[in-house]
Amino acid sequence: MKDEQYILKWLNGEISDEELSLLKQDKNFKNLEKIAHYSSHIETPKVDIEKAFKEFELKKATTKKSKVVTLNYKNFYKYAAAVIVLLVSSYFLLFNNSVNFSTQYAETKTFNLPDESEVILNANSNVSFNKKDWKNSRDIQLKGEAFFKVKKGKSFTVNTSVGKVTVLGTQFNVKERKNYFEVKTYEGLVSVNYNNSLIKLAKGKIFKVINGKIDTLNTFNINNKSWLQDESNFKSTPLQFVLDDLQNQYGYVIKTKDVNLEQLYTGGFTHKDINVALQAVTIPLQLSYKIEEKRITIYKNGQ
Amino acid sequence: MTKKSLCNEEDFNEFYKTNIQFVTNFSSYKSNDKDTALDLIQEAFLKMWEKCSEISYEKAKSYLFTSVNNLFLNKLKHEKIVLNYAKNSPYLDINNQSPEYLLEEEEFKNKLKNAIENLTEAEREVFLMNRIDGKKYREIAELLNISQKAVEKRMSSALKKLRSKIELL
Repeated sequence: MKDEQYILKWLNGEISDEELSLLKQDKNFKNLEKIAHYSSHIETPKVDIEKAFKEFELKKATTKKSKVVTLNYKNFYKYAAAVIVLLVSSYFLLFNNSVNFSTQYAETKTFNLPDESEVILNANSNVSFNKKDWKNSRDIQLKGEAFFKVKKGKSFTVNTSVGKVTVLGTQFNVKERKNYFEVKTYEGLVSVNYNNSLIKLAKGKIFKVINGKIDTLNTFNINNKSWLQDESNFKSTPLQFVLDDLQNQYGYVIKTKDVNLEQLYTGGFTHKDINVALQAVTIPLQLSYKIEEKRITIYKNGQ
Repeated sequence: MTKKSLCNEEDFNEFYKTNIQFVTNFSSYKSNDKDTALDLIQEAFLKMWEKCSEISYEKAKSYLFTSVNNLFLNKLKHEKIVLNYAKNSPYLDINNQSPEYLLEEEEFKNKLKNAIENLTEAEREVFLMNRIDGKKYREIAELLNISQKAVEKRMSSALKKLRSKIELL
């Protein structure tokens, strides 16, 4: 029994010399020595500490500490925002089915939509639509002015910042400029959604909003497709909007001097010759103009 | 001087690096499935990192061994353990090169290996932690959450079994 205590002490490296010499008298000490010696040579799996640590770091990164998240909401939002930006941008990069057409000043463009409906885009305008979704929803975004010749089918919607125009199959013109919104129906029936009210526009009718006010005038000359035939036509329209259109068609900057921009203008101007166009606008209103490079000044006669 | 804390990344990393080999050794006394063992060990470290605020640095080692122990209980198959000697391990008497002696030692080693493989898991882990990792009984007791007396008991019974098996032959 005493030996056993010594043996344990010996294995634990705590034996005194005296006790050790006693222990060595045991006839089996040789075997004990061998047991102690060889058992310490048993192989253990060698860990590549750095490699294991790297794997651990990876695990740690994927299971984020809940505590860290609650403490660092700022960081969390930063990552979340980054992920969202990444997802959204990759969505738009990889799955961009949106088609865009735009025109510069003094430019018009004619193109077909996926269902062969026709769009003629007036100067300084932009339309966009989703090619992939077109079969399900004929939805188009418009900025500026465009003429639409819509193939019969599901409802066809033109969205502008001001109002929504919905049709089934027809020909119509939508014009959305600064403080100016106008829909003309050339064929069929067009419904205009403006300020949550629905207006049905029959053939030959016009819907016009100037400075947020709905114009009472509601007919126009259907044979007069104006800008599609390279001219603009107006009926009792404030001069301001006529001049805006002139700018769009020719790409000139127009300035006025002592001119009442509220006065109404009825008539039209060509898109082919700036002088003819200016005369068509100024003469009936008893105004004069002069052109300096790309700048036009309009002033009262006799000044 | 600031106290070491597991929540401090530097302290934690140091704790990881100083203990990973030891705890892997410990796992090899219980199971031969090295890959699963390493996974479980990583898991144990990860849990400690997550709960760092609840574990004092002084108790961390004991916590680590306890959780590895628990994870092993649930997840590892307890097959019969197979041990091997390290290559080129020196004989006890390095000056004696006689073929008879070498043969005798090889035979002894083989018997010893089988005897250790046949110890109970409790005996084997204590015995090998002492022999291979050079841990004192007190330290082993702390890591395994048992008394030093219990460690000594396991050592004694392990030795008894080993000796009787070897001397029998």
